[in-house]
Amino acid sequence: MKTLKSNKLSHRLLKLLCRKEYIEEILGDLAEYKEELASKPAWKRKLFYWFHVFNFLQPWALKNIDGSQKLNQYGMFKNYFKTSVRSLLKNKAFSGINILGLAMSLSLVVLMMLFLGEIYSFDDFHENRDNIYRVTSTEVRGNRGAVVKQATGSYFIADQLAQEVSGVGEVLVMTNTFTKLDIGTEDKAVPVDCYYAGSTFFNLFSFDLIKGNPNTVLSLPNQVVLTESVAYKLFGDQDPMGQLLTAEMSGYLQNGATAESDLKNGVVSGIVADPPVNSHLRFEALISLKTKERAIIERSLDHQTNPGYNSNLYVYLVLNEGVKPQQVEEAMFNSLKAFNTEREDNPLIHNLQSMSTFITSDTYHSAGPTFAKRKLLIMLALTLIVLLSACFNYTNLSLARALRRSKEVGVRKVIGASRFQVFCQFLVEAIVISSMALIIGIGLFLLIKPFFLSLPNPSARGFEMFELAISFEQVLYFFLLAILVGLLAGILPALFLSKIQTINAFKNSLQSKLPGKISVKNILIVFQFTMSIGLIMCAVLINDQYNYTLSYDLGYDTEDILTVEIQGDYVDVLANEYAKLSEVEAISKSGWVLGVGGDGLTAGMFFSEDRSARTLSLLNQIDDKYIPMHNIEILAGESFYEPLGRDVAAYNILVNEAFLKELGLGAPEEVLGQQVLYNGEKIRIRGVFKDAVSIGLTKKFLEPMVFIQTNSATDYKALNLKIASNDIMGMLTKLEEVYAKHDQIHPFNASYYEDSIAETYKAEKGTYTIISFLAIMAISISTLGLLGMVIFNTETRQKEISIRKVLGAGIGNLAVLLSKNFVLLILLAALIAIPITLEIVERQVLNSFWDRAPISMMETLSGFFIVLLIGLFTIAIQVQKAARANPINSLGSE
Amino acid sequence: MEKEHLGELEELILLLVVMLKEEAYGFAIRKALKDQANRTVTIGAVHGTVNRLEKKGFVESDMSDATEVRGGRRKRIFTVTASGKKALQKSQELKVSLWTQIPEFSLGNQ
Repeated sequence: MKTLKSNKLSHRLLKLLCRKEYIEEILGDLAEYKEELASKPAWKRKLFYWFHVFNFLQPWALKNIDGSQKLNQYGMFKNYFKTSVRSLLKNKAFSGINILGLAMSLSLVVLMMLFLGEIYSFDDFHENRDNIYRVTSTEVRGNRGAVVKQATGSYFIADQLAQEVSGVGEVLVMTNTFTKLDIGTEDKAVPVDCYYAGSTFFNLFSFDLIKGNPNTVLSLPNQVVLTESVAYKLFGDQDPMGQLLTAEMSGYLQNGATAESDLKNGVVSGIVADPPVNSHLRFEALISLKTKERAIIERSLDHQTNPGYNSNLYVYLVLNEGVKPQQVEEAMFNSLKAFNTEREDNPLIHNLQSMSTFITSDTYHSAGPTFAKRKLLIMLALTLIVLLSACFNYTNLSLARALRRSKEVGVRKVIGASRFQVFCQFLVEAIVISSMALIIGIGLFLLIKPFFLSLPNPSARGFEMFELAISFEQVLYFFLLAILVGLLAGILPALFLSKIQTINAFKNSLQSKLPGKISVKNILIVFQFTMSIGLIMCAVLINDQYNYTLSYDLGYDTEDILTVEIQGDYVDVLANEYAKLSEVEAISKSGWVLGVGGDGLTAGMFFSEDRSARTLSLLNQIDDKYIPMHNIEILAGESFYEPLGRDVAAYNILVNEAFLKELGLGAPEEVLGQQVLYNGEKIRIRGVFKDAVSIGLTKKFLEPMVFIQTNSATDYKALNLKIASNDIMGMLTKLEEVYAKHDQIHPFNASYYEDSIAETYKAEKGTYTIISFLAIMAISISTLGLLGMVIFNTETRQKEISIRKVLGAGIGNLAVLLSKNFVLLILLAALIAIPITLEIVERQVLNSFWDRAPISMMETLSGFFIVLLIGLFTIAIQVQKAARANPINSLGSE
Repeated sequence: MEKEHLGELEELILLLVVMLKEEAYGFAIRKALKDQANRTVTIGAVHGTVNRLEKKGFVESDMSDATEVRGGRRKRIFTVTASGKKALQKSQELKVSLWTQIPEFSLGNQ
């Protein structure tokens, strides 16, 4: 695929530039050369090939520039280039401002282009990429009628597709979330993220299977394909093929009991290269789906025939050439007819999703990394705006300086330059500047790249999605872009300057003829300041909400509480040993960490006693120390105060107010002792606690919450330790030592409450960082523009200033004189920016929080004040300079 | 006089054109240069040189039939002209005469 693209590009380039009579043999020889290169590594191939392509761009091969003035043209362009460089050097301040501004925005554009390129190239290593589709499900779930869209299918529909529907090639069924297994040999095990995958996996996808037969590696139960890195971890340099594997679930729970791994006596049947960064599927091992199916049959579950079992499986398929996805969607609709008639008003609908949209889709929920299209568009828009802003700087400054260069234009025209030639000259100047800016911009990009890559992106789900590597071809595109930017920025001044009539060029009457002296320039300045003010406001508002969220009163104590992740059944032993440490004041156990949520989150369906109402509720398994330790307020009834006996079943729960509301049970005092149904068993409400933040401020999709006391060690996934110690590092080391005695497989994971809560909001933190960064960009660029305008203004008005000074004007008067206009413009920008920004931030960012930080006057005006301050500071420096200058110097030279 | 002057690469390539006969086109010449003289040059350089030779009148060129390797493109086959041959001979004579005037490297020793 890639080679074809570069082929086309080089062909086009050569056809454009080389003489017709040579082109055929040139392309022919290049084609042969390409074959000769075939054995070399890809980067060498490309580099050599392009080197040869460029080598053809020599005088003998190039087309003549048409027209009668061909020699002259070449000379002229050389001359344009020379004068451009001279004029750049002559006006170092202005050139510097222009280049720096453009470089900053171009670095951002380079970043965006690479970013887009990488998103676009996701999954492009699959040979069938254009024909691979994924089945999606749309249905209404739950009491509230929420429409759930998932990128999943069922065994049923996969069978239908493979057997009944025409036009479908390979069909693949696999699990859609990782099964976390501790896979190993007799002597060691490592935690591994696995998928159960059907036998067609390697036929449908083009993952690089290093060892094993692609047709059979996943066709029998208990077959395991390991990635290279896992195989190395387990077997080192030994040949892993055919080795036996043990597997244990990484302490995963199902209905309150540790689930057993479906894989029992695994055999390594193949080795696959680690999935590349740009793959939507990332895994460490694949287990044959037959392994899971065998377990399903043993337990006589109906998963394989029930069309409604559609939340746990990916179904991929390859469409045959020429088959439209709509046809298949229709066929799927028909095969679900019988099933849907039973479901009446809540039909299950399957659609197809094309592989090229896996990454950018935000419609269908999938467990893999994603980057929503909406986010992409916002980033793109902001980049364009920053770029435009920098272009405006150039346009503005050039227009402002037109007056000074009108004499140059006049002389050129007198000597015989045509209007078009003058036009070209100024365009070339702009392109020279933008090309220089690009070189600096690429340098800047390399500086910001690591920072950008390290930004948290929760939708990547813990994977690295981007590399942002620059390839040779891309540099070519960047230069094309620089030329485009030069044209964009330079066209207005070039048009204006080339229009100057010779006779006016030498008069001073030009001032009045500057195009839209007020309008165009001022509009551009207002635009820039609007951007700066808006972006600063965004950053301030988002940061404010972020801090507000972090310091939000969760409704319980979190101070000095350290949570330790538990994966196994050793919680009681570990708790006992921790209790002996002097730093640990108190210990409690829980199923998951309040206010943080994460993977271990559990929820269950609760029914009222007469089954008339039901609600999905968060469910946290705790011990008797938990409530007092977190100081959770009990409104009615009593909390758990003594350990549950060994063999006593848990039949007491604490519920929150929202839970009562959902089930319609009445006031807290009335419900004590009432019973609800959970898992078919009657459970008594022992107490009611006050509503508190259960998962986080951005994710309150479930409000009801239940605490249940349990005596099963495997229910506990977290140990909460109240710590009293100043030596945090020492304390953590001690804890880790103890932990390591009980768990050799999983790394020690402990964090303070504040830190895990901050981790929960890393998406917001990421948005804030990006916006602040853009705001700094925008404000730097507009400040540079302002600086340029002020320098220009004070220079041109130097005489006026001198006369005023001679007549007795003080520095204050001069400052007012020079800054009045700009302040007005900034004020106007603020008037535009403030309402628009408030609206956008409200709609796009803050509406995901269900408790908002109050927006104060100070925040609303923050952008305005900062821009005003920076603007005034810039002006002040220039005024200072102008005011200190000796009037004689400027007045004496007339 | 000036027109007949043969540069070093020009001379090499001209000789190769004579040698390769029917197969004397850009890429083949480049390959022969690598094999025979152990010199790696770009395809562009070869093309530039043969075109220069053509301008000087030392070679002529004709398009061959299409071939599959080159994506159906034709080759331009170069053949040496009479004046090309003459130039080669002249250059060799010049060198031989120079060699014979250097007694230290006596050719007779062989």
